[in-house]
This record gives sequence, C-alpha cells and structure tokens, in this order.
Amino acid sequence: MILEMGRVLARSEIGDLGIVLNIAAPNIAAQARPGQFVHVRPGVRFDPLLRRPYSFNRIDRQAGEIELIVKPFGQGGDWIASRRSGDDLDLLGPLGSAFVIRRATQNLLLVAGGTGIAPMRVLAEHESARRNVTLVMGGRSIQYLWPSRLLPPTVEYVTTTDDGSFGIKGRVTDALRPLLAWADQLCACGPWPMLAALGRMRDEAARASAVFPGRQVLLDAEIAVEQHMGCAMGVCRACVVVTENGNARVCREGPVFGLGEMRFSEGEPATVGLSA
Amino acid sequence: MPWRRPRKKVDRPVNVSRAIEETLEELSADEDEDDSVELAGVDGASIVEAATGEADTGGRMPSPLAEQLSRVELSDTAVITPVRSAERTEHGVDLAVDAARSLRLKNPVLTASGTFGQGVEYAELIDVSRLGAIVNKGTTVLARPGNAQYRIAETPSGILNSIGLENPGAAGVAKKYAKAWAQLGVPVIVNVAGYSVDDYVRVVSEFAGIASVVAYELNISCPNVKGGMLFGCDPGLAADVTRAVKQETDLPVIVKLTPNAPDVVAVARAVEEAGADGLTAINTVLGMRIDTTKRRPVLGTGSGGLSGPAIRPIAVHITYQVAQAVSIPIIGAGGVTNAEDALEFLMAGASAVQVGTATFADPLAPLKVIEGLAAYVKIHGLSSIRDVIGVALPTSQQAE
Repeated sequence: MILEMGRVLARSEIGDLGIVLNIAAPNIAAQARPGQFVHVRPGVRFDPLLRRPYSFNRIDRQAGEIELIVKPFGQGGDWIASRRSGDDLDLLGPLGSAFVIRRATQNLLLVAGGTGIAPMRVLAEHESARRNVTLVMGGRSIQYLWPSRLLPPTVEYVTTTDDGSFGIKGRVTDALRPLLAWADQLCACGPWPMLAALGRMRDEAARASAVFPGRQVLLDAEIAVEQHMGCAMGVCRACVVVTENGNARVCREGPVFGLGEMRFSEGEPATVGLSA
Repeated sequence: MPWRRPRKKVDRPVNVSRAIEETLEELSADEDEDDSVELAGVDGASIVEAATGEADTGGRMPSPLAEQLSRVELSDTAVITPVRSAERTEHGVDLAVDAARSLRLKNPVLTASGTFGQGVEYAELIDVSRLGAIVNKGTTVLARPGNAQYRIAETPSGILNSIGLENPGAAGVAKKYAKAWAQLGVPVIVNVAGYSVDDYVRVVSEFAGIASVVAYELNISCPNVKGGMLFGCDPGLAADVTRAVKQETDLPVIVKLTPNAPDVVAVARAVEEAGADGLTAINTVLGMRIDTTKRRPVLGTGSGGLSGPAIRPIAVHITYQVAQAVSIPIIGAGGVTNAEDALEFLMAGASAVQVGTATFADPLAPLKVIEGLAAYVKIHGLSSIRDVIGVALPTSQQAE
C-alpha cells in the first residue's frame, strides 16, 4: 500500500452508472488485485475531509493505469467525479483483500449489481483469456448497466434490469439459477440487498442435498461488500461488518469475504449514499 | 502530445523534508517560474497550478508564514521513500517538550487516540518513530464489540464518529502489541477507558512493565458509550479516577478533558489537584446528523463525537482557558492539520499537540506538522519550539 499522486488521463460518463476515470498510477497499478480498492482524497484541503473508497474497475499493470467508477454523490464524490484529464488525484492503495480465482476453475460466474460491476470487470478482463467467463449484471434500468462493448469479447453476459428496459426484467439473482450448475466458481459484488439474496440462496443450498445444482459453487462463493469508511487503514473501526468471526473491517479483512462468512441476519449495514 | 508525468513530481517523490528545505530556498520565485513554464507547456496547467500542484483559484495566502507553511503542506506527493535522518527538516532543531510532568518527548507531535490504531497500521505508510509519541486506541478491561452502524458521518470540515470503544480488551492489547511497540521505536501512551474507578486501575495494571508505554491518557470523556462521559463531566469523579490511577502507576497520568462538561476548567483544576501530570484538551464535541430521506439520525447511536478542523476554535479556546487555570502541561487536540494549527495550540498554552482526524485525509499530516514546526523554529531563529508555548496568553499569566 502506498500514497501516490495519480494523474487523470481520461474521463467518461457511463449512462447513469457513474463517471469513469482513467488514471495513471503506475505504483498502485503494479500492486493492485481485483476486489481491492483505492482511497481517494476529495481535494487538497480538509473540507470535505474523508477520502472515498473506490474498487478498481480496471487494472492495467503494463500501462501503469487504473480505472475507477465514481458516483457524483456528496461533496467529495462530486469533486472527484468532476476531475478532468490532466488533474492530479491523491490516491492511497491498493487496500483490502482480493478475489482469488482457483486454478482449477474452468467456468467462472461473475455477478454484478450497479457499480458492483467494477471488480467484476477486472476479473472478466484478467480471467477471460484463461477460462470461460459469464457475467450476470443487473441495474435499475439500461442506464445503469456497464456497456458490453467495454467487456472482453469472449465474456458471455446476461443482463437484468428492474424496469425491464433491457434484458431480463428482475434481479440478477433471478437470472442466476440456470448458471449455477455450469459454474465452478462464483464471485459477486453489488448492493447489500443483492448480496443478502445471494446469502439466502447459499443457505438454501447448504440445507439441500449434494445434488442441488451449483451447491458447492454457492457454498464457496466470494463477495465484495461496501461500507461507510473512515481511515481505510484499519485503525478507526468505522467500516466493520458482522461476520461469523465477529466484527471484520471492510478495509482490512474485506472488502472481499466468503459469502458464508457474512451474517446477513444482522441487517443491512449500509444504505445511505453519504460516502458512496 | 501524449501526456507525460511532470518532471518535478517524478524526480522528487515524497521526500518530504527535502521538499521543505527546497521550499524555503526557493521562496525566490525565479527558478520556480522557469520550471513552471516548462510544466505548463507539458500538460496545459496554468503556471500557478504547475507550481503548486493545486488548482489555480487565484487566491493568495495572507501572511508570509501562512504562505511558507501552506507550501510545506503542499509538498505531499507520490511514493514515500526513506529519508536519511540527517536530511530531515527537524534534524538539529530543538523541538523537545514536556508533554506532561516527567514526560519529555523529542517533539510535540502526537497522534490522537482512535485515529492511529496501535501504531502498527500506519507504520506501513510512514516512519512512526519520527513522532513525539503515539496514543493508542481507547482500551477497556474487557473486549468491546462497539456500536451499531453507522459509525461515521462526514460534516463540514470534520467527521462525526460513534465507534463505541471497540477494542480487544486490555490484556489482549498488552499481549499483542508489547513487542510491536518496541519495534516501532516510538513512545506509546495508552488511552484508558472504563465505567468505574476500578476499571481504569485494572487497565493500567495490565500494561505495567511494558517498556514502550511511557504514560497513560485517561479517557474520561468518551461520548459514545453509556456513562462514558460521567467521569469527565464531574470534577469530583474525575479527581477520584485520577487519584486511583496515580496510586497504581509511577508513570505520568494525563487526563483527557471533554468539551461537553458544564465546567471544563473546574474538571481540569480538580484532576490537577488529584495528581494528574498533564491534560489533553479536548476530546470530541457531541454532535448529530439527520438523514433527511430516512428521517432519522445518520449514526446508529444517534449522536456522536465531532472531530476535525470544525472543532479547532473550540479546542484552542479551552486550551487557552485551562492553561491559565493549571500549571501542569496541556496537550492540545482538535482539528490540527498543519504546523500553523499546531502553533495556535502551542501559543494558547499547550506544550504539545495531537494530530487525529487529519491523518485520515492525509496520512502524512503528523509528519508535516513536525517538519512545519521545525521550519518555523528555523525561520524565526528560535532556540527551541518551547519559546512559543503560551506566548498568546494574557501577559500576567504568561508561561515561562
């Protein structure tokens, strides 16, 4: 983990999903892994004060570049989202735990809700040359979906929208079941209700017999979670979530957890878009 | 033209202390300007933007000191590289202070409890041994899971927190970190919290014999746990806790004051009389944010503790008041982000400062305060930083 002054190379709007910033940050890019995040300072002074955590949406080691999806929420998110090509960004990262794709995995199933696409896209890019990758992505409407032209051509994708404006009308979990039997490994990132729905599917699989399609895939699934964050260095304990092993810091033990580790029964830890 | 990284930033990754010396040398603008024109050509930034690395707002800093110190602050960049100690700005500058009775530190910059963990976390990023001391996360006798989410909310120039003293308990902390603290090479002040006089004494006893622990800071003012502020608001109870802990340990005992007490000065006087060796002014200020969509407070506990630059004037004022009422050293805390902020506290009568919330935004902030204070001593030809302690106090009361 390092402090690095990144330089914005390009900025683009992806529908209503957010602003995508392409940033030159060779030192962070060299260390970053899918699922990890970078803590971005929203300005050079102390108002707004807190850095904002963003999961990597692309990691290009060779070019020394990273990409982030930034929602212009709140004063800090607004400032970061309004950066233009040539602007500096004070970055702290890479931080947190990463997704680990097992060597034996042939069929990788990725599940993304909203801006949860970020780490899933990194996985899609890194893994599509090595194995079969299917991405299930969902959003409120077509405006909240990641454009398929910005996915590797070998990645299969299934889309769902809440309003039916594109793909299957419904949630990603509705589109997921037929793919479970196909998959060897499942990784997911998205809003808490989506992850909680996955958790319920896992509970169902855990109770079912070994012939339940995709049972093992659900049992071993990994998820990346979001939480209001303070320091991102593991000291302030603002970002804890309740897991089977007690409180865990999203910034250190997370953001990637085993789906089975998360105590969804404790309720949703994050809903307001204060730091989103 | 393809984008190229400006030379200035690549050639001089952090190396903060060198950057400050350069800043001081380069106050004559000529050399800077040459550089800037070149940079401006490279990436289309305005000259001011290229020179400062900051958006050109057209605003100027008012005083030459503010200008110098703000440039110190702006020296932050890129990757941290180790700097030989002789190259550091603070090298050879007398920054030593008595942060409490019998607690001489090599410089007056500490980290505030709850914002620096156990010191080991930020050691991955900065050279913690350069700090005067660190204050660890508030420690209770038994492990505490902390409060319900949300635990943090942003406010203008500050944050509200309601962590609830989540910690693994005194025995756990002592066992886990005694070795690590020795390796960090920085004095550790243990922040002690509790619900009864006995609690405080028991926590202190767990840390007996750990060489890195140089003092205790009694958190009699946590706003986020039930009864946490009881001791801090009542001069009599605050004195009882202080007296009991003083009997338990020979190390200096510092009492952290709460601004939420009806009469902070009375509490300060009472704990001084009870044997406190120092005071920290101040803990967080009670505050609240409402989520207007959900129509309820943002924090899980409703209210929380406000910290950051938003509370600095309150903290400086209390420091100023308490400094005139007691003769033990005061550690100023509340919104210190740079050397100029620290100087406000020192001039108001504090002997040292704690940097807390600022570290979340800028992990280099505590080190920049040290460098900025060293630069101030040099620029003003002072014999030591101690020369400024209390200089803003009314003359009749002025500290030595």
